[in-house]
Amino acid sequence: MRRERREQLQTGLMLAPSLLLLGLFILLPLCVVFAYSFALRDPYGAVLPGFTFDNYKELVQGVYLRVLANSVSLAAWTTALCLLLGYPVAYFIAFKAGRAAPVLLLLLLIPFWVNFLIRISAWVVLLGRGGLINQGLVASGLIDEPIGMLGTVGATLVGMVYAFLPMAVFPIYAALTPIDRRLMEAGADLGAGPAETFARVTLPLSLPGVLAAALFVFVPSMGVFAIPVLLGGGKDIILGNLIVQLFLEFRNVPVGAAVSILLLGFSGLGILLYMRALRRVEAMK
Amino acid sequence: MSVSDKDPSQQKPVVELKGVEKRFGTFTALQRMDLTIREGEFFTLLGPSGCGKTTTLRLIAGFELPSDGQILIAGQDVSQVPAHLRPVHTVFQNYALFPHMSVLENVAFPLTVRRIGKAQRLERVRAALDLVQMGAFAGRKPSQLSGGQQQRVALARALVNEPRVLLLDEPLGALDLKLRKEMQAELKAMQRRLGITFVFVTHDQEEALSMSDRIALMKGGEIVQLDTPTGLYDRPVNAYVADFIGETNMIPARVIETDAETALVEAMGTRLRVSGTQGAAAGSDVQLAIRPERVCEDMAELENTAEGILADVEFIGTDLRMTYRMPDGSRVVMRRQNSGRAVPQPGETRRLGFRQDDLRLFSR
Repeated sequence: MRRERREQLQTGLMLAPSLLLLGLFILLPLCVVFAYSFALRDPYGAVLPGFTFDNYKELVQGVYLRVLANSVSLAAWTTALCLLLGYPVAYFIAFKAGRAAPVLLLLLLIPFWVNFLIRISAWVVLLGRGGLINQGLVASGLIDEPIGMLGTVGATLVGMVYAFLPMAVFPIYAALTPIDRRLMEAGADLGAGPAETFARVTLPLSLPGVLAAALFVFVPSMGVFAIPVLLGGGKDIILGNLIVQLFLEFRNVPVGAAVSILLLGFSGLGILLYMRALRRVEAMK
Repeated sequence: MSVSDKDPSQQKPVVELKGVEKRFGTFTALQRMDLTIREGEFFTLLGPSGCGKTTTLRLIAGFELPSDGQILIAGQDVSQVPAHLRPVHTVFQNYALFPHMSVLENVAFPLTVRRIGKAQRLERVRAALDLVQMGAFAGRKPSQLSGGQQQRVALARALVNEPRVLLLDEPLGALDLKLRKEMQAELKAMQRRLGITFVFVTHDQEEALSMSDRIALMKGGEIVQLDTPTGLYDRPVNAYVADFIGETNMIPARVIETDAETALVEAMGTRLRVSGTQGAAAGSDVQLAIRPERVCEDMAELENTAEGILADVEFIGTDLRMTYRMPDGSRVVMRRQNSGRAVPQPGETRRLGFRQDDLRLFSR
């Protein structure tokens, strides 16, 4: 009995630092935001104590719904592109790269050591009118004068895919590596060509990784604000920069908090859908 | 039934390897192999791990392409044809069943990819599953089956499309002894009934002997001896074969003299006459080989005898395994059926007999 008690105490002590950290810096601020989303404000932006659903009611307006649609559309495009580009990369590293695989995975990680804003700013330089890409295209004679790429949806997507591609590659890679190669040999042996073996064997077996990749890209994509502002010119308002604007420009903390909670709800919904889909895929085995 | 139906040696070749060589980097896995496998035979590639038997199978399946030489299946050169276009199917060592498909979908796979209609597909899958007595398990997932059941499903999947040649890569390796014995008999019976050529890879010599029509014993990427099971057991071409197949006493000996048909050798402290000289010259050091079960205690009409002291008796149920120490220090193992007679006691001196036809000479 006493030993059991002591073990419980030990476990508790070992967990304490992380629990404290999570509680103080994640849970507590979240509670504050949650409370703010029901609060009142005075005309100068100060938060007043009180309880109202007005902040949420305000969100059910055409403007805000447009913002939501923009966000979902951007996140969906980003997810689709990341999966389409990330799958072949993950496949190559998992099955074709051989001993170069660890190096390639490291190369995918290295950009993370550089500050996010700096990396995105690099794309501003690359995509600009005097940037490398325009210079190269003009020099090669493909175009006569520089194209305005910055400030377009395309530029935003380039930045989004660049930022989130590793998030897609890693889970797909992790799902592909444990697949027994003999299953692919069996596919070929039984008469399926490479494309059919992929479609009937490899792809279904890697679906859990694809689902995880979709989640890892979609959820953070919903909350971005720097990339659409820097590369897309901030023309289409999305949830991320709406929150920034509400907090910092309009000083409307309660509505900003409500949008934040809404975003959180969407992320939670994404995770829920992922878990359900994963259970269905796992049940196939 | 005509003679050619029964005797595989009269059948036409179905798999031919002509000077096939396989190199992985600087390592040569297979050295200029010539091999002909005939229609309808149960052919076994036997050898220790790393001898090239699995490489040979993978070359026939098309998972590896030869570095040199030609592979013919049913008369067609398939040396550069990818696996999915070859008329052979494989039963893999770990079964390689698709984990995300049911038993039915697994077995239907070869038919599905050939776009065979649903009705016919189902009918053939049912027939194949019934053949391996797995009809009741069609809806299960591979993970819900035991090893032996997975084995049967793998077999059904490989047979459903009626391949010209069935390749089996140590298919019984993962089964326990009792189940393995059952499956051996079943596989053999199935092969006879279907008349499909089986190319079987194993490192288990007993398995090879009991199932095969012909066996290629391999070592270091080469075939050492290609023969029937009895040929391999009774007429091994060298000491390696004699030692690998079954148990063999290897006794150091010296050739005293030879004539046209026999050799006189000195061994075990006495002189023995041996049928066949194996090209050994008088005065040369050789090895004298004899199977434990061919050593006799019954002395009547035996050409050669030698005296030994019984050092150890091992009781193994059906047999007694007795080790004798001979005057020259060599050991001779003798096997005798457990007939219920009194078990001899260690320390006894006894006279052993050797028929000259049972003795074989190998160079040392």
